Amino acid sequence: MDRNVCVVAGGMSQWGVRDGSQRDFFQEAAKACYDDNPHLNPKDIDGLLVASAYTERTSYQTHLAPLVAEYVGIKPKNICARVELLCASGSSAIILAFGLIKAGQADVVMVAGGEKLYTPQRWEVFYSELASVDHDWDGTQGLGLPPPAFAMVAKQHMKQYGTVKEHLAQVSVKNRRNSAKNPKAQFQTPVTMEEVMSGRMIVPPLTLYDCCPITDGAAAVILATEEKAKQMTDKPLVYIRGTAQASVNNMSANMPNWTTWEALKIAAEQAYKKAKVQPKDVDVAMTHDCFTISEIIEMEDLGFCKKGEGGPFVGDGQNDFGGQVPTNTDGGLLGCGHPFGGTGIRQAMEVTRQLRGDAIQQVPGAAIGLTHNLSGFIAAHTVLIYGREVA
Amino acid sequence: MSTPGISVLNGKYMATMDLFPQQSKEFNQIYPFYEHLKDGRFTTTRCKDCSAEPFPPRLLCPECYSTNMEWIDWPTTGTVLEFTEEVVGVPLGFGKPPMIHALVDLQGKLSFFVRIINCKEGELKVDDQVKLAVFDVDPVPQEFGREIVEIPRVCYAFEPVK
Repeated sequence: MDRNVCVVAGGMSQWGVRDGSQRDFFQEAAKACYDDNPHLNPKDIDGLLVASAYTERTSYQTHLAPLVAEYVGIKPKNICARVELLCASGSSAIILAFGLIKAGQADVVMVAGGEKLYTPQRWEVFYSELASVDHDWDGTQGLGLPPPAFAMVAKQHMKQYGTVKEHLAQVSVKNRRNSAKNPKAQFQTPVTMEEVMSGRMIVPPLTLYDCCPITDGAAAVILATEEKAKQMTDKPLVYIRGTAQASVNNMSANMPNWTTWEALKIAAEQAYKKAKVQPKDVDVAMTHDCFTISEIIEMEDLGFCKKGEGGPFVGDGQNDFGGQVPTNTDGGLLGCGHPFGGTGIRQAMEVTRQLRGDAIQQVPGAAIGLTHNLSGFIAAHTVLIYGREVA
Repeated sequence: MSTPGISVLNGKYMATMDLFPQQSKEFNQIYPFYEHLKDGRFTTTRCKDCSAEPFPPRLLCPECYSTNMEWIDWPTTGTVLEFTEEVVGVPLGFGKPPMIHALVDLQGKLSFFVRIINCKEGELKVDDQVKLAVFDVDPVPQEFGREIVEIPRVCYAFEPVK
């Protein structure tokens, strides 16, 4: 018999430039997660996966999972380990937890992710970002912080498909409007088209509001077998229907195409197939808007619109409430911020709420939800599809 | 060298904080790439069994999985496909902004990101020709028994062909 997997709780700490340490944020996230489902006894959690990319560099801490287990008051008996895939660490951990539960290796798994990225001297995290790419090759060229790579992606997309700066700006205005209603988000204020269009130059054509910040914070979700989930929650069940993760290259020299993300297309196709849905079935999506151009390309390569039409799709509000696929309804990376290991888990939380019907800004009747992360220099893509019913 | 806040590290070398790769044979089996760079050559490895030319250089052919690799010269000039000038966020060690980044096509071999140096702001254009530029970077004080020997190192960027 198939072991179906459900999300039974989710919560996050306050995200932002935070006072506190990594272990503080994991405790805050766990508390929010436990509070989300008072019927769940944390002592029943038999597995923990922790997602964190920079724990060694900015917190000088390896062997993080047992530390987090100790601090959040659980004693996993089936799995207790850390997962790292930079910006997709959180989603990777959810995929692995899903697989472990499906395979019968664990029944109730907490997936917690987060980072303390702001150090007492701020140069350090930017310097450490040189490790995020192929350090010996792309890193020695001064790449690591992603804006220059995405700037060159944006320039190529503009040239090939006629995407304009206003399309980019609309993504930022939408996601900041959404984050302003999310009390846990890093940015609590909306921004206007005029503010975005006149934003400070970072790396042309990307200006300040085209780029997500880096962030301190953590998030946690708890997954369980359908059987346990039915005992643990009185809220509607949210199932993980299908997942995939693909990588076709790492160093820039081996990237097949900068404006069509091949690994995303592969991951999406696999996830849709496993979830038995098509792009048109997706009611709500959390995509990796690390930059405004990213969300535009993601609309195309996830199959929500035709290749090259991401700009007009966004311009027409098709990725907003009332459009074809409301995207980043909680503010996304541009609004919530981006503590690398926490992001995929934050996305899972928001999709869960949308499918349960208790999101802060609810998409009416949402039944199928999708999350997507990219990581590294667009080197790996992770797609998960959730639903109110099993696949 | 002093390390504020961590007095025990005064004078110590930290590989974990190094911008550049290790280039000695003790720490990197593709050290010939750096030896070749010092002679102005841009090289990679070619598989003697299937003729693939993977870049970066490898010990293992990613196409046929042979380890029968040899060094070959690649072009040292290329064409700018796209570029941008980074105003904010230039990491420590890469000079004052703007830092110029380019996606360069190496005469049909592969295209990849490189840093453009010896080029004024606003000067670079798409389709410009650029050439390999090699420069010294900090040597590594490497331990050999009780002795510390400074291992010289180089790095590459590209610069406009004038």
